[in-house]
Amino acid sequence: MSKLEVDKIDPQSGTDLELGSSGDTITIPSGATLDASNATTTLPANVVTTDGTQTLTNKTIAAGSNTVTGLTNSNLSGSAAISNANLANSSITINDTAVSLGGSTSISTGGMYKNIIINGDMSIAQRGTSVSSITTSSYNTLDRFKLTIGSAGTWTQSQSTDVPSGQGFAKSLKMDCTTANASLSSGAYFFLEQQIEGQNLQYLKKGTANAESLTLSFWVKSNKTGTYIAELRDTDNDRAISKSYTISSASTWEKKTITYDGDTSGAFTNDNNTSLRLQFHLGAGSSYQSGTLQTSWGARTQADEVVGQVNLADSTSNEWYVTGVQLEAGTASDFEFLPYDVNLNRCYRYFQKLSVVLMNFNTTGLLGFVFPVEMRANPSVSRAYVGNPNRMYNVGTAATADVVSPTTIVSKQTIRYWYAFSPSAWATSTRSGWETEYTLDSEL
Amino acid sequence: MISTVEKKYDSENNFVCYNIVTTNNLHISVPLDEANKDYQAIQEWIADGGTVIDNGGGE
Repeated sequence: MSKLEVDKIDPQSGTDLELGSSGDTITIPSGATLDASNATTTLPANVVTTDGTQTLTNKTIAAGSNTVTGLTNSNLSGSAAISNANLANSSITINDTAVSLGGSTSISTGGMYKNIIINGDMSIAQRGTSVSSITTSSYNTLDRFKLTIGSAGTWTQSQSTDVPSGQGFAKSLKMDCTTANASLSSGAYFFLEQQIEGQNLQYLKKGTANAESLTLSFWVKSNKTGTYIAELRDTDNDRAISKSYTISSASTWEKKTITYDGDTSGAFTNDNNTSLRLQFHLGAGSSYQSGTLQTSWGARTQADEVVGQVNLADSTSNEWYVTGVQLEAGTASDFEFLPYDVNLNRCYRYFQKLSVVLMNFNTTGLLGFVFPVEMRANPSVSRAYVGNPNRMYNVGTAATADVVSPTTIVSKQTIRYWYAFSPSAWATSTRSGWETEYTLDSEL
Repeated sequence: MISTVEKKYDSENNFVCYNIVTTNNLHISVPLDEANKDYQAIQEWIADGGTVIDNGGGE
């Protein structure tokens, strides 16, 4: 091998200098340094490292159509920055103590309150933790979840501590059949639902070309295996879409994820009334399942809504649990756990109980107070002293008195309440320390 | 399920709310708000032939 020892190589003429020819390998030995720090360097189309351990530090990948692959399980530390990047189909974890969102940064999915469903973790049960003998439609235990039922057996609904292991949930909603109906009439219906205000759904852009798809995630468990239907109903435009899921293993928690296309027809009305209903069907008569399941958005056709649904009401052995209900725009993400107080305050918009103590009042008078959270609409008001909705209780003497035909004026945030007591009850009382509980209901 | 419905008036004889009694003896004051589900239920009950008790104001 010949050896050339010079201090500098310059072009013979012009400014171009070429080393070697195509196919040659030019080697810089280990320990040598190739210093191009002050030069402008054009890299080849493919930069190949020799063993995958090389580090690229303090470099900027300039804007353009550059594609960087293989950044999995990477540590971007120090002053590293990602700008104008498309990080698609990725699960990104940020484990840092401070994350700054600069400029016009926005988070389109995965942001706060991404879950359209309120109380999806089944943690709030203001009305009580168990209600039995249910045969008609009503809100029973878990806030915001309504059981809509007609001619489909008798049920106990409760807040249960039976939850999927290791998922962070503490409570679930349980349906327990106490009187079976193994042969549902044609018009029978039976579903758990949550109704959602239209003004909370405008960002879905329903009824436009940019309508967002929706993904429903939940954990479910039942001894009754088979096909179940989860339906979305647009009540503003009477449109619907239904998707089936299968409970495969008896009495085993299973996570289900269902995606619904965006609907380019029928915008949601921007007000405080029901626009969307999420319905977990548990049984249905032939009137609701004699057609073909409607798996795309379209005008609601009763016969196509619940096709294939098993009858959960066919045995008193049947139970059905659900928790971790999340409905969100776009693709599925982890369940959004909210602090208990935040969850409770969101429920207060639809239902509240207020304990009131009256001091030194007369047989007739006016009572007024302000609600801690503004309600969805002017609420219905009932009194709910234990065991007797009409009754007030004297703290000092344990005497009771009945309120007779009150007049109530409410707004979304206040109540004025003219009361009068039954004279016979009043005669047994003293004029101090009466308490009662008011139930304020503005559910959808 | 609604059992009875009564109109209620304030001291100036303005009709301000309904008082209803349900079949399971719940006593509920219902505001005159079309967005209230109990108000909607009263309207359906009236449409189905229910008769509202109206003793007027006059306090």
